[in-house]
Amino acid sequence: MTRDSRKPLGLDDVFIVDCDVHANEPPEALAPYIDMPWRRSLELLGRGPQRYLDIPGYAPILNLDPPFPDRGLGNRTVTTARQMRDDLDELSINVGILFPDNLLKIAVFPHVDYAAALGRAYNAWLADAWVSRETGLYGAVLAVPQDPKDAAEQIRTYGADDRFVAVYLPVAGLRPLWGDRMYDPIYEAAEEMGLPVMLHSVGIIHPHFPFNLEHIESRIVRHPINHEFALMANLFTMLTSGVPVRYPDLEIVFTEGGVSWVPFCMWRMDKEYAEIPTGAPFLERPPSDYIKEMYFCTQPIEEPERSRDLLTMIDLFDGRDKVIFASDWPHHDFDHPRTVLNMPFDADLKRNIMGETARRLFKLPVPVPVA
Amino acid sequence: MPRIRVGPAGEIQPGQPAFVTHGEIEIAVFRVDDGFRAYRNRCPHQQGPVCTGPVSGTLVATADTDWRLAWVLEGRVLICPWHSMEFDLDTGRRLRARTERLRAFPVKVDNGEVFVQLGPRSTRAATRTPA
Repeated sequence: MTRDSRKPLGLDDVFIVDCDVHANEPPEALAPYIDMPWRRSLELLGRGPQRYLDIPGYAPILNLDPPFPDRGLGNRTVTTARQMRDDLDELSINVGILFPDNLLKIAVFPHVDYAAALGRAYNAWLADAWVSRETGLYGAVLAVPQDPKDAAEQIRTYGADDRFVAVYLPVAGLRPLWGDRMYDPIYEAAEEMGLPVMLHSVGIIHPHFPFNLEHIESRIVRHPINHEFALMANLFTMLTSGVPVRYPDLEIVFTEGGVSWVPFCMWRMDKEYAEIPTGAPFLERPPSDYIKEMYFCTQPIEEPERSRDLLTMIDLFDGRDKVIFASDWPHHDFDHPRTVLNMPFDADLKRNIMGETARRLFKLPVPVPVA
Repeated sequence: MPRIRVGPAGEIQPGQPAFVTHGEIEIAVFRVDDGFRAYRNRCPHQQGPVCTGPVSGTLVATADTDWRLAWVLEGRVLICPWHSMEFDLDTGRRLRARTERLRAFPVKVDNGEVFVQLGPRSTRAATRTPA
């Protein structure tokens, strides 16, 4: 039975790939996978008090905000693959690409060996307990920025496992930013293994740019700086150090920034580049050419008063085959797939955004056609 | 038009709505000040289960408060558990928004029993119904 083409697409009419869902990894869960002496460290942390994404020595956060009555209800966690599969079924999502919860903050650790060990433990835990082609849960290999050589080894190890389809580049608290040449081993390994790199930030207050936000009172100021501004800053440095030129087969994905900042970055960098081309000596074309080849996850999808403005925004960066759906489940600002599906896009664009572009990007198995 | 019995008025306490369903429509009945309000349990934002959220107050700073922060509307603000959007339980309007509001249904109390009146699709708030 074929679908009535006059009817709007429903959630069950499209193959949905969710490019950002979060697996909660309490310290005690990773303890069996980590080397000594860090196993003892995680066992100790596992016995101590734990707050939501707020565990000293594991998920450090400088929380300066008073709790507001009856707020913060969005502090949901998903602690097992079974729970994630059930949740995604409830949301009509076919495939989920997993990111961590607590280890979103892994870039802040000054202890290089500990950070690298945490990264290895997380990847091993994902491989053991979460990722599976049958359940449609896929992993992004955590690349620990403090130890790029070790991260490259992890990418080569898990990149050979078809249950891992990407490399996760932590952004929160990162120093230096992802354009620095010290990260070249990570890009080299990701390109070699054919895995897209996915930049993902999280809300923190930290001395590292652009997270030095301790003086800002309102969370709604800090939140977009934590995400979109951090993505912009990393994108700019990746351009000026020539990451897309030096690794031409590397796919670059930005998560949790929505899409409306992309045209600004293109035009602003083109303007700078025209005036100061020596500032980006690796580039062979205007910066916007490279940005148009990158991928951008929808969440948090902009919800303009005139929803067609969102389509205009996507067209400004030729993004019809570059925008990919993400929900950010189960975080407080998650987007239900219905919200993106109901945007005023044509059916082909809806299918691309909701899953087809991501299916090609991550080389996912071809789904059984939806009737 | 169908009328749905909710239950004894005395059993609906502030901040603890009573839920009833009609087909696929779930409706929550809240006790607000001196009366009841009934709203569809679907947030106009992303269709989350808005009526399962807490009833609280909100923070404002206006000329009336001399631009100082003030906690207001305690017991009258419904907070959606999905994205924390705030709705005035008295009117169903989303606070500080342009147009969004909860779908409301008239409520009647007969002999101490609360009833929700279903009818033509309406986005208008229910009229004040004494407890």
